[in-house]
Amino acid sequence: MLGDIATLVLQGTMISAVYALIAIGFTMIFGVGGTLNLAHGALIMSGAYVFGVLAQSTHPVVAFLLTIGVVALFSWGLYQILVRWVEENVVITFLSTVIVAVAVTKVILIQFGGSPLGMTLVSGAVNLEPYGINARPRNVQFLGFVISWVAIGLLWYYITKTDDGRSILAASMSERGAQLTGVDLQSVRSKTWLIAGALAGVAGIILGSTSGATPNMWLNPLALAFMIVVIGGIGSIKGSVVAAYVIGFLEQFTVTFVGHGFRGILSLVVLVIFLLFMPQGLYGREFAHD
Amino acid sequence: MISTILLLGTVLSTVTGRIGNIAGTVRRQVLLPIGRVLDRLFAPLDRVLDPGARAYNRFLGPYFGEMTGLQFGVIAVSFVALLSAGVWAPIVGPLLGGGLLRTLALASIWAIFAMSWDIQSGYTGYISFGHSALSGAAGYATALLIVHVDPTLSIWVTGSVSVLAALAVGLLIALPTLQLEGPYFSLITFVAVLLFYRLTTSFSSLGGVPGFGQPDVFTWDPVMRYYYMVIPMLLIALGLTFMARSDLGMILIAIRENEAAVSAAGINPTKFKLWSFMLSSVPMGIGGVLLVGFTGNVDPSTFVMVDNSIEMIAIAVIGGMSSILGPLGGAFLFEILNHQILHGYSTPVRYLFLWLIVLLVLVFARDGLFRAIWHRLGAVRGDSE
Repeated sequence: MLGDIATLVLQGTMISAVYALIAIGFTMIFGVGGTLNLAHGALIMSGAYVFGVLAQSTHPVVAFLLTIGVVALFSWGLYQILVRWVEENVVITFLSTVIVAVAVTKVILIQFGGSPLGMTLVSGAVNLEPYGINARPRNVQFLGFVISWVAIGLLWYYITKTDDGRSILAASMSERGAQLTGVDLQSVRSKTWLIAGALAGVAGIILGSTSGATPNMWLNPLALAFMIVVIGGIGSIKGSVVAAYVIGFLEQFTVTFVGHGFRGILSLVVLVIFLLFMPQGLYGREFAHD
Repeated sequence: MISTILLLGTVLSTVTGRIGNIAGTVRRQVLLPIGRVLDRLFAPLDRVLDPGARAYNRFLGPYFGEMTGLQFGVIAVSFVALLSAGVWAPIVGPLLGGGLLRTLALASIWAIFAMSWDIQSGYTGYISFGHSALSGAAGYATALLIVHVDPTLSIWVTGSVSVLAALAVGLLIALPTLQLEGPYFSLITFVAVLLFYRLTTSFSSLGGVPGFGQPDVFTWDPVMRYYYMVIPMLLIALGLTFMARSDLGMILIAIRENEAAVSAAGINPTKFKLWSFMLSSVPMGIGGVLLVGFTGNVDPSTFVMVDNSIEMIAIAVIGGMSSILGPLGGAFLFEILNHQILHGYSTPVRYLFLWLIVLLVLVFARDGLFRAIWHRLGAVRGDSE
């Protein structure tokens, strides 16, 4: 029992950091442009596959950096080529991004087939059994935790301490107000997509290194991102981090104590409760003006 | 790095600007003259068909919408073509790669799904990503009844229980979510279908990944099978068109356009959204039962997988959202492209191609192909609509 709880805390802490990373990109795009990017999961998946391919021929660190750049460019390209032209219509935007996501799945099936693509950032595992914890967390999980927090910290610094980043924050609070103070909305939106892409790339690398890449791996992160964003409050980075921990621990709790098949159910129940009674989320703002 | 990106951005935006100009020129220099020529060619035909249309308009127009001569002609020809496909499809089939009747039967099932999705999502603007959970509920209800209750149950029993199961799952999804704002609703249906998928794959009592092979197909005769699928499809099309043209359809469209105005008029939008969801669940259930009778196998990937929900949406988008006949046409176009025209390619390649078409339709022809054609037909003699 005590061992179970220790496992829960350990695994929950590590997985939640990655969940936060997944959700932040999604919420930034929604906060700034009002766009639901249902291709976010597909960007994460492309991060895993790009890294998987690059890591076969180059050093993992080089592959890591290259992948982030490539996925950021994918994301930016998606905005410039598609979303920019349809973003005034919410329904068309999320229909087209979900179609992009299934199309990417097909590209991956054609290119890599249906079987999982294995990859790793670092190998090895830690045996915690001598300490009474019934788990063998792998080094890549620890590294993923560290990388996620570094990425979140960098983003937080950029958003709150630099002028460039603060224009993003301003645009997410009030588009009209931001425009009045001389913020170029178009470039802010492009920047948001670039950053969200980079974060998705990082998340993809970590997810791919922990459990391999499969053509349907975009579904879960997307559902997670959405649940976390709703619980944390749309547009709030702090809310995403807190809610990521809520969801991460809930999932780990159900897996440890209830059963694997029930993994999503508890989270879904919490999600519905939030939607009905607290739709603004933990740290959400009222959408007063556009 | 940043400067390269900015450079790329400038190049890209000038290129797209150019494309916009070219598109404008093409429209003015090529498409409009072609349209005028077509108008001149088709106008006499329209006039010839006018008496038929007028008779229809007098008796059925108030219930199913008025038509011009040409529109009436197209509907009449398609109706006769669908009903006589058992005769002509085996002859035409070999030219199109064979198996045409199978494709048409499959298209009928997907037409049911797409039309049901449309009456809920296309009309109210509350896009559901979870409709495959409804057909899945029906399919699984049939399979569970046959496996656990009595393998000899008649189709009338299993079928009606299955439709009720679809309705129940529909209410389970709709009741808590339909009070939510648009995108929230969509995403929760998305999460719901993922969850349903996970339940079906991880519980052995629900058949796990292989699913159930026990339900029998209706018939092995391709001609009979086609009629088992197409006749319910046409009846559902009639029913849904009738509903869409009634006051209910009007309210649903009003909800899509301005929900606040609807509630200001003293109508409770949530109640009507719920009605539309129930109206959508019943034909989804019928479609699910037909799909069991078509494949004879109930498993997560033919019934529940989220790709199925997206395929329904794609079909409705190609045909034209918020028009019942648009998704019907879209289903036949989509399935004929998928199983006849692109016959030689592997499944992922075919779907990649189809998704790209859907994307193009979403960006360049939001109203859908069949809706555009329909309005063009109606405007042949210069009247609008």
